[in-house]
Amino acid sequence: MTRPAVEAVEVGKSYGGVAALTAASFTATAGEVHALVGENGAGKSTLIKILGGRVRPDTGVVRIGGNAVSLSGPQAAHDLGAWTVFQELTLLPWMTVAENLLLLRETKGATGLISRSATIRDADALLARYGVHHIDPRALVEDISLAERQTIEIVRAVSNNPQILFLDEPTSSLVEREVEWLFGQIRALRTQGACVVFTSHRWAEIRSIADRITIFRGGKDVGTFTEIDEGEAVRLMTGRRVEALYPPLPPMPNAAATALEASAMSGPNVRGVSFSLHAGEVLGVGGLAGHGHRELFRMLFGDATATGGQLTVHGKTRRFRSPRAAIAAGIALVPEDRKTEGLLLRMSVRDNATLVILKRLTRFGVLKPAEERRAAQSVVDSLRVRTAGISQPVGALSGGNQQKVLLGRWLLAECQILLLYDVTRGVDVATKHEIYELVLKLASEGHAIVFYSSDAEELAHLCHRVLVMREGVVAAELHAPGITAEDIVSAAVRDHLAA
Amino acid sequence: MSASTPQTVLMASGARRSRTSHALVQNVGLVLVIGLLAACIIGYCVLFVVTQHRFPGGFELTSTLDNTMPLAFAALAQTLVVLTRGIDLSVGGVIDLTNAVAAQTLTGGPVATTLWTLAILLIGAACGLVNGVLVAVGRLQPILVTLATLSIYQGIAIRVLPQPGGAIPPGFTAVLANPNWPTSLLYIPVIGGLWAIFRRTRLGVAVFAIGNDAMAASSHGISVKRTVILAYTLGGLASACAGLFLAANATAGDATTGDTYTLTSIVAAVLGGVSLFGGRGSGLGALFGAFVTVMVVNILFFAHIDPLYQTFYEGLFLLAAVVSANMIGRAVRGRR
Amino acid sequence: MSGSAPGTILHRAIFNKEGRRIVYAFVAGIILFAIGEAVRPGFASLDGIRSILVVASFVGLVAAGQTFVILIGGIDLSVPWVLNAGAILMVVSSLGTNDRAIPALALTLGMGALVGACNGAGIALLGIPAVVMTLAMNGIMQGLTLGLSGGMTCTSCGAYAPPVVQAAVHLRALGVPVVLWIWLVVIIAVSFLLGMTRFGRATYTVGNNARASHLAGVNVAVVTIVLYALSGFFSAMAGIMLVGFGGQAALGMGEPYLFQSIAAVVIGGVYILGGRGHYLGSVAGAISLTVLVSVLLAFNMPDYGRSIIYGLVILALLLLYGREEDSA
Repeated sequence: MTRPAVEAVEVGKSYGGVAALTAASFTATAGEVHALVGENGAGKSTLIKILGGRVRPDTGVVRIGGNAVSLSGPQAAHDLGAWTVFQELTLLPWMTVAENLLLLRETKGATGLISRSATIRDADALLARYGVHHIDPRALVEDISLAERQTIEIVRAVSNNPQILFLDEPTSSLVEREVEWLFGQIRALRTQGACVVFTSHRWAEIRSIADRITIFRGGKDVGTFTEIDEGEAVRLMTGRRVEALYPPLPPMPNAAATALEASAMSGPNVRGVSFSLHAGEVLGVGGLAGHGHRELFRMLFGDATATGGQLTVHGKTRRFRSPRAAIAAGIALVPEDRKTEGLLLRMSVRDNATLVILKRLTRFGVLKPAEERRAAQSVVDSLRVRTAGISQPVGALSGGNQQKVLLGRWLLAECQILLLYDVTRGVDVATKHEIYELVLKLASEGHAIVFYSSDAEELAHLCHRVLVMREGVVAAELHAPGITAEDIVSAAVRDHLAA
Repeated sequence: MSASTPQTVLMASGARRSRTSHALVQNVGLVLVIGLLAACIIGYCVLFVVTQHRFPGGFELTSTLDNTMPLAFAALAQTLVVLTRGIDLSVGGVIDLTNAVAAQTLTGGPVATTLWTLAILLIGAACGLVNGVLVAVGRLQPILVTLATLSIYQGIAIRVLPQPGGAIPPGFTAVLANPNWPTSLLYIPVIGGLWAIFRRTRLGVAVFAIGNDAMAASSHGISVKRTVILAYTLGGLASACAGLFLAANATAGDATTGDTYTLTSIVAAVLGGVSLFGGRGSGLGALFGAFVTVMVVNILFFAHIDPLYQTFYEGLFLLAAVVSANMIGRAVRGRR
Repeated sequence: MSGSAPGTILHRAIFNKEGRRIVYAFVAGIILFAIGEAVRPGFASLDGIRSILVVASFVGLVAAGQTFVILIGGIDLSVPWVLNAGAILMVVSSLGTNDRAIPALALTLGMGALVGACNGAGIALLGIPAVVMTLAMNGIMQGLTLGLSGGMTCTSCGAYAPPVVQAAVHLRALGVPVVLWIWLVVIIAVSFLLGMTRFGRATYTVGNNARASHLAGVNVAVVTIVLYALSGFFSAMAGIMLVGFGGQAALGMGEPYLFQSIAAVVIGGVYILGGRGHYLGSVAGAISLTVLVSVLLAFNMPDYGRSIIYGLVILALLLLYGREEDSA
């Protein structure tokens, strides 16, 4: 076996009292492709950030090339030949692709100054060297697609000839063809003797490229394997059997009223989407990132204007101009990023829970504190939110409990139609299970639920029907029982495979 | 190591936009301010001919340029800071201070004057350095830091020069703001050139990068603290230039004339297409913005607007310019 | 967990960070009074305190408006000339007579609110940055004020404030100048509005996260417009009090109040990027700033020294508790 390229020994990190990593260890060697797998919230991203020099660990040791290092920043990692592609992309939106690719290694002219034309030329050559011909180095990053941005990040890291390359979820916004391209780059690096460490949720990918796999659960490693079957891996990741993680799907009520009906809805990135949703139904929406789900949810909630089509809510045709109008019609949205779009992190659990129903808790605009406290407390009690009290800032809660407060806000508002967008992202397994139970309980109580998830497994187990979106249209509609994650993924990438 | 460069082609090249098309769209703010300046100059000339029955000549050119130079430097100072997502309210204070020091010290021969000029530039840079350190190391909000240092610099300026006065040597004025010859025609290309150089240095790239996204920039290995400190320091230096040009133009010093530049520098930068949210804009735009600001005053003068209403029209003009620039910018981007 | 309401308030005042800042600002004011008394006996006499508080009330009124807009991460740079316009409009429209005082008051306060609402509309509806919008508005109001009053040469410009308005500033009720009673009412009303009403809650949510507030159905545009209108209203009110205090209006009388109001708000612990803080803090800030200036005067400190120390004190307070938290 070759020498270890990177080692993490008992690395721990907490954010504001919440432990992201407790004691994570793994070793990857030169010439190896090493996958880190685990649930959302298992600590993989935090570990990558620590290894990339972006976050400092609280405890534990990181060794690179055999020496214990204390990385003062990403630059220190670069100096040791370690480069990282972080999950949340780090491109500069109002600068050109070329400037981003060659940041801090711009081409200088004879005068010693950066030459723009030479930088463009070199960026073009660099892209061509890696087989990327379709991205214009003169374009601004804000004008290129998510997959193109991901590609640029990868090219930038790879072109620095890393000894060690860390990739955090590099394939999440890539389609089949781009994934193949990335794997080509990874294999080449391996041949050159570099070490590649990556995280992924897609089992097929992990199997096709990884030499070894380290599994994480709850901020710790639970084992490193060269060969492991998927069922066993999932059991290690979740600490329970797959079937037990998902509660049984309640039957669809017969002849239930139609709660929400979209016909030929169109708008930015969404083309002619139609569906009808019944009370008591969980309608899944799946597909690869960037294929219109986000925009569809925003349109249904009045946060983006539909350019065409029709929306019927409880039998009435509606045209929402603002979320306020949608809320008044009984629609709720739990948005993509609860920290920036959902919660007011510095405000209390109470303030967050009662925000939508304040009108009910006031007389002539004056708050009734006792009633407000009671309402907030009811959310905490009924959803079992773990908090020191309702006056605790919501930002101090764990991800799962934050999500419960956000769901509780809408339950207080008695919204009948719930749009849930990736609600289990960054939530620990136990809370995930609670959220699943809650979603299904709400459905059985007659709520109509539209459920988007980036996790196909989740969709397969929790939804009565799944719409798979591709390039802004519904590419497939799958019906329970018998939906599998594979069906969803293959519907999402079908024509890319065909191409 | 070289043998196995992968040749997987991800995707073939598609249609690309031309270089000019990119340049136009990405510099829409600069293009707009140039258009605005052209419109102002035409409007000015027409009004001048109508009211004065002759074309504006050398005198008008010289005085307009000389009046603009301090604002041009102040706008540049503001731009350097605003690009990092900050704001510098102390620009006026630094101009006051350097202007006051100039009035007290520039009384000797050419050698002493030159040395003091350099010293004054250093004073300006030091003021900027203090701002930068407080913002970057002290982790304080730029608007509050510079509000406090504005008060401090203004106080020191009055201590240095309690009464307006001092005699700026004619030689100094002849070099910076010669009333008989448009010396500024030399300085404007110099400022433009310096900006072009700055934009092509690592520091320039870093300033834009942290204005885009400080977190992302630092994960690429850019030192945010160092960049912020240098941007404020350069800003202080530019403010000192404004103070010197102001002294040369007025041939005397005054510890309070700089005050107005805090706000007008913001106006000029905004007119020049510099985004107050950081990361977008250019020093050239700010330079043109300064000229537009001064030209608007000239136009109001020759349009026989009651000078009492001057700020009213300036305010309306600023709003109209910002709103229409927003709309045009959105339209241009939307068409892509 | 949750105690009785007054208990909670006391608990907050002492133990949470925001509450502590308010306490610090008040303590700073008291210490400064003590220093003043040591330098010039009589400084902290009842009369001394009264006159300082009256001066502080003018800053405090402007700071009320500034608190509103800073709570949503905005700023109001139009304070100086809205205040000045208010002062002049008050004397011109009342012509110094009591029977015209009421309509003149309504007109002046309405003007302030309207101008503020325009600021808010520009910011919320047209997407103009607050700095640019209110800066331009300051110029617009300056031009209008100067132009319409002919540079204070109009015949009615020299009029005195109506006697009732002058009396409101100078007369005492129960040993306290009426203007301080008015300020007290404002303090209670503003604190109540921010702390106990739906509108106040919306102000904090918008300041905390405008996007999340929008997605929770808060009408961000309306909240913004109303807050700027309130800022204009309080600037105009300060203008009225100032003509009552000085008797006549003057050009440029609003200039000092811009930076003083911002400084008072910040010293009082209101977070400049919005979402956190209380008007009580701004009140404490206004008082300690005013005492500071008076102490420096008691030291016979010249203008320049006051200006320098003023800046240094603000910096010192910022370094003490204005640090940005490390982003996780």
